[in-house]
Amino acid sequence: MLIVLEMKLSDVIHHDYTLVPVINRFDIKLGFGDGTIEEICEEKNINLGFFLIILNTFHDSQYFPKEYMRSFPAEVLIKYLRKAHKSYLEGNIPEIKKMINVLLSLSNAKGKTLSLIKNFFDGYSAEFSKHLEREEEVVYPYVLKLEKVLNSSEMDKLPEREIDNYSINKYEQEHEDIEEKLSDLKNLLIKYLNVETNESELFEETSYLLLRELFVLEKELREHSRIEDLILVPKVEEMEKLFKTLT
Amino acid sequence: MAGVVNIVLIESTFLLRAGMESLVQEIPGILIVEVFDGSEKNLFEKIKKKKPNTVIINPNALVNNFLSLMTKLQNEKDIKLIGLINNDCSEKISSRFTFNLQLTENKHNLLQQLRVIFGKGKSVENRQKGLLSKRELDVIKEVVKGNTNQEIADKLFLSIHTVMTHRKNSTKKLGIKTVSGLMVYALMNNIVEIGEMG
Repeated sequence: MLIVLEMKLSDVIHHDYTLVPVINRFDIKLGFGDGTIEEICEEKNINLGFFLIILNTFHDSQYFPKEYMRSFPAEVLIKYLRKAHKSYLEGNIPEIKKMINVLLSLSNAKGKTLSLIKNFFDGYSAEFSKHLEREEEVVYPYVLKLEKVLNSSEMDKLPEREIDNYSINKYEQEHEDIEEKLSDLKNLLIKYLNVETNESELFEETSYLLLRELFVLEKELREHSRIEDLILVPKVEEMEKLFKTLT
Repeated sequence: MAGVVNIVLIESTFLLRAGMESLVQEIPGILIVEVFDGSEKNLFEKIKKKKPNTVIINPNALVNNFLSLMTKLQNEKDIKLIGLINNDCSEKISSRFTFNLQLTENKHNLLQQLRVIFGKGKSVENRQKGLLSKRELDVIKEVVKGNTNQEIADKLFLSIHTVMTHRKNSTKKLGIKTVSGLMVYALMNNIVEIGEMG
């Protein structure tokens, strides 16, 4: 389904409830009423075109109009990406940790499997937070500065490229690592989980919830790195080039 | 990738084309490489250029060119010909194809027939059940102990190329790509002890 401005947002959510976290990032909360997407965006002062694009890319992985997406200001993109980071760090990751802890507490003492999985995920989440922190503290500020300078009259100085020693390639490589580890964890659970427990029903139920959370996070991250690798990175390169031709 | 079936589809209506594409997507290793609507000039040459193993044809798309194209295609020994036909299709037409798919058939049967045609029926990849060979196991043990490919090659008297092949195959069998993932796997399955880890 192509999501368009005259649709009611409630109909869209009925059709695909997994978009709820996405609309949350635009400060739209459940109980948003009966308005169309256009009306709600106007009321909340949301960039309508950008909102539609994000909804559509999440809803349909085939939908990814690169050129159009690059036409939005980096500021709009980054505002969204930051919100998304926040929801991973405060929502998805702690939720997964919590479930792993529950599984750990349900497994018999001599079973080491869950502590291994716990360690693996702790390592993963540390790496993940570091990556996000880097983006927030180094990459995004640089991009925003660049955009600001380009939009102002004082184009005398290109902001220092603090990400120089941190090449774009490495940035994409980190995205790949993060995705691979997550997919490994899924396989460890699906294929190799072997645990002794006295509460097998609760254990299985929780394992399923955990697996579901991992799939959710995986999808989130896939969309997220797609936006960063295919929209933000080329946009920065474009701006840098433009800057050079102007000065 | 070996064993991929390349299909050229000749179908003029959007809906049937989309339907055929969605059906084929459900069978791994089969790919529609090109779709023609049947009205193209020099269609035979265009088809040959795509080097298909299979051509799926709706006779309705070809109208008057049906016989001439079929005659040419039938001389191509390496190409399977599949007809997309209606119930009321005359025997004269349907007999020209090696296989026929009935448009009125349900999804389950269509998939079964396609699997039989492409020989994907019995073995959903006859891979051994994700089990590692003795040599692969040796290599994985060394990987999780923190050794580099070169170190492993020296230790096990293998070429570095062989080490990499074992790693690649293990990763594929297990579905685990990262070293830390392999560590967890190895410890979970008592392939190594914690004390041995690098």
